[in-house]
Amino acid sequence: MTLGKRATRALAISLALLGVANCRPKKDEGSGFPRAETFYLGGRQWGEPSTFNPLGTPGWPISTMNLLYETLLMYNSISGQMQPLLAESYAVHDDSVEVTLNPAARWNDGQPVTAWDVTFTFELGKSYKSLNIAPIWQYLVDVRAYGEDGREAQPGASEHPRRVVFRLNLAKKNPLVVLDALQAQIIVPRHVIEPLLAERGNNLDEFKKLKFDESAVSSGPYRLLSSSSEKIAVLRDDGYWGNQALHGGKRPAPKYIVHPLYKSNDAFSVALRQGRLDISTSFVPRIWLKANKGVRSWLDREPYFLSTSIPMLLVNHKRAPLMDVHLRRAMAFAINYKDIRELAVSGYSEPLRPGVILPFGLEQRFFSEEDANRYGTWFAPERARAELKAGGYTPVFGPDGELLETRDRAGKKLATLYVKSPTGWTDWESIVRIAVKSMRAVGIDARERFVDTSSFWNALYEGDFDLIMHTPSTQPSPSKPWSRFEALLTSQDFAPLGQRMYKNIGRFNDPKAPGYLPRIDELLAQIPTLTDEAARLASYRELNVLFMQEQPDLPLVYRPDTFYEFSIKHWANLPSGANPYLPPLIPGDRLGTNMLWAIEPVAN
Amino acid sequence: MLKTSPAIKHIIGRAGWYVVTFFVAITINFFLPRLGDANPVDTIMAKVSTGLDSASAKAKEEAYLKEFDLVEVDAAGNVRHDAQGKPVRTSLGRQFVNYLGMSLRGDLGSSILQHPKRVTEIIAAALPWTLALQLPTIIVGWLVGNGLGALAAYKRGVFDRVMYPLALLASAIPAFCFGMLLVYVFGIRLEWFPAVGGYGDGLTPEVSWAFFQSASYYYVLPFLSVFLIVVGGQAIGMRSMCIYELGTDYVKYAKLLGVKESKILFYMFRNAMLPQLTGLALALGSMVSGALVTEMIFSYPGLGMAVLTAIQGSDYPLITGCTLLVTTCVLLANFGVDVLVGFFDPRIRAQRAGK
Repeated sequence: MTLGKRATRALAISLALLGVANCRPKKDEGSGFPRAETFYLGGRQWGEPSTFNPLGTPGWPISTMNLLYETLLMYNSISGQMQPLLAESYAVHDDSVEVTLNPAARWNDGQPVTAWDVTFTFELGKSYKSLNIAPIWQYLVDVRAYGEDGREAQPGASEHPRRVVFRLNLAKKNPLVVLDALQAQIIVPRHVIEPLLAERGNNLDEFKKLKFDESAVSSGPYRLLSSSSEKIAVLRDDGYWGNQALHGGKRPAPKYIVHPLYKSNDAFSVALRQGRLDISTSFVPRIWLKANKGVRSWLDREPYFLSTSIPMLLVNHKRAPLMDVHLRRAMAFAINYKDIRELAVSGYSEPLRPGVILPFGLEQRFFSEEDANRYGTWFAPERARAELKAGGYTPVFGPDGELLETRDRAGKKLATLYVKSPTGWTDWESIVRIAVKSMRAVGIDARERFVDTSSFWNALYEGDFDLIMHTPSTQPSPSKPWSRFEALLTSQDFAPLGQRMYKNIGRFNDPKAPGYLPRIDELLAQIPTLTDEAARLASYRELNVLFMQEQPDLPLVYRPDTFYEFSIKHWANLPSGANPYLPPLIPGDRLGTNMLWAIEPVAN
Repeated sequence: MLKTSPAIKHIIGRAGWYVVTFFVAITINFFLPRLGDANPVDTIMAKVSTGLDSASAKAKEEAYLKEFDLVEVDAAGNVRHDAQGKPVRTSLGRQFVNYLGMSLRGDLGSSILQHPKRVTEIIAAALPWTLALQLPTIIVGWLVGNGLGALAAYKRGVFDRVMYPLALLASAIPAFCFGMLLVYVFGIRLEWFPAVGGYGDGLTPEVSWAFFQSASYYYVLPFLSVFLIVVGGQAIGMRSMCIYELGTDYVKYAKLLGVKESKILFYMFRNAMLPQLTGLALALGSMVSGALVTEMIFSYPGLGMAVLTAIQGSDYPLITGCTLLVTTCVLLANFGVDVLVGFFDPRIRAQRAGK
């Protein structure tokens, strides 16, 4: 009897266990998204987007372009060329930039994409100063539509004009920023947006309350399918105009593209290893350890990624003693850049060279080895000490060699310099720790100060810092490296501490202060207008030398604009360093979208 | 009526205190996040200001401040500026009055970082996941833990010697540590269970067998990560309560009478349960905030993550909305316990009746 009871019990337990084991689904998919037709990408969006309104602040896939709404052109950061999208060609003239639209371009409601859509989109920035397109208007006089006959198109005429002329503001001539805008601004359908705005009394705030999450009119190859706090999914539009006009009749391989919304970098890493994610732009530390799980990066050896930007310590030139060039150069000679590259960023960077021109890729042609060696700074503690001495600074070390304080020429103790960085940004925290350690080693009294993210931004723009981590102007675009220099050095819109500055955040080269260097602003104004390659090289060299001599800020390491890792488990022929038919961008991020026509599902 | 029913008198007395506590709590909830120098508009501006010149950035910033009701506007709807040209911020007191008025109408406002989404919308989307994860885990964990504790106290011997240290261990492990361990071993190393998410990537929430199956499969690790800890904690508490009860005269008497083991266990359980019941109510009340760690480790959808992102970005309306929910839950749970205890605990009944 007892035995029987026990046997029954044992049987019941085994059955229960079997039930749990059996609840593991055979295939982890339902009727929803078949794996062979679905491309999973990640790292571009962290929470559920609150809106898909193209004039609001939408998330993926609208914020990163070309899956839903399209730009006129796409910039290839490897070749430096602009590739056609809505525009089939463009030309830069002396006083204007001209764009010709592809005659086949259509909105998904069948309407043609015309020059009126382009003029409407850009003119929105004239009416609404808070839109991202607004700043372009300081460089433009007007944007006009022209017909095939070369005459200005008349509103209401039956033909669909295809030519758009952007007339440059010659007082501030800068075709580079206009080209930047052509590859960054999504074109919106005038015939949809204009009436909706008018219905709301042209009140943008009211218009932004529209979410555009259902059957929105756009021109791109995909449409929004669903969005929740777990994932965003888009569905291929088989009637997409570009399949015929741009891709030889081929359509994108994945029917669905899904962006799961994981909550942490680690979650994206794990999903990539398990083949649940096909591509990601999240930060994956020590990527070489994941190679046996089918995870690849752009390169299969150091530096693994293609760097396009320079994280640096911005220096506050309005706080004593940081306006002293000896101190700044001492800091630049003190920092151990090799440690930063190897320990803080997993070796994902080329060795740092002086100045702010990248010594590789497209910018290499403007980089001068000779200037770098003559004027630049690098890790050289003895030179750092020499600069300190030249500035009259005396470090005081304790009995165990630890820095007690730094004294100035008058023998007065200098206040500790604090290096601000957002708390929890672990790679930046490591960078700052190394920088602080190496500055203290030569006798500069610096300390790290990690602050709450939202107060970090306030401190940054209002100038409430001694030194602060920042990466200026990160995206590769036609205006590089000019726009990086401009973001760091321009004296335009100079504002005192406490008021906001979004460029030249360190408030270097105050035009009203003694010692102002007008040459820097001259060069910044001149470079965009130069067409002669030799003249551009000379100007860039001069500007970079000025940066090296003044060392207004402290570049630390190179870093990609977005990371790029992919899995080879489910899709083949993704672009990589060995097969660089496109730059390292995920689909739905600028030119990266074009890989959708080239990738193929891996046969099981 | 009041005189004749001490229980009701007790309840009304307690209710008064709860109303006072509630108002103090929502006042703190309102002011605390707003006291720091962080500003949600800075966080948004950081994301959208790349490449803007100062004039456009200023226009954009003011548009946001106006949208979120953080600056004062004049009769024409324009932002008011002070002598230095900075926009005049709406005073905290004024914001508080607006907030109280809206809350009383049941309007929690709209989120700042997820503008134009309503706070209630965000909570409604996240809450079911939190409830589905926490409610069964806490209740089943409570039942199993108390059962095991009572059994260990009663049986003693080998069972107790194995169960007690295990329960101690389980209750002492920090939830995040245990969760990460489960993910690493079963999710990443052995790949028996998915490491992240609430259901298969290829699915969308719907009423179907495939979805249910997938969601249950994804449920296992997050469930275990909370369940085992709850079981451990409850078992320890129950065990000591029962050991106390075992020493009482009624148990000894029942044993002498030869009453069935299960029957004695049941009596003991009922008496030892009272303090455990308070614990259950408190756990249920605070489950919304307790879910955070689990949700983060498993990238599980839910309210904990919503609160975290809100706090990181100083999304005031969302923070206040969520804390209002937590406050209400905790207070209701406590009140519920008070009411139950008032009805069921003879000691309190006696006290109130003045006996």
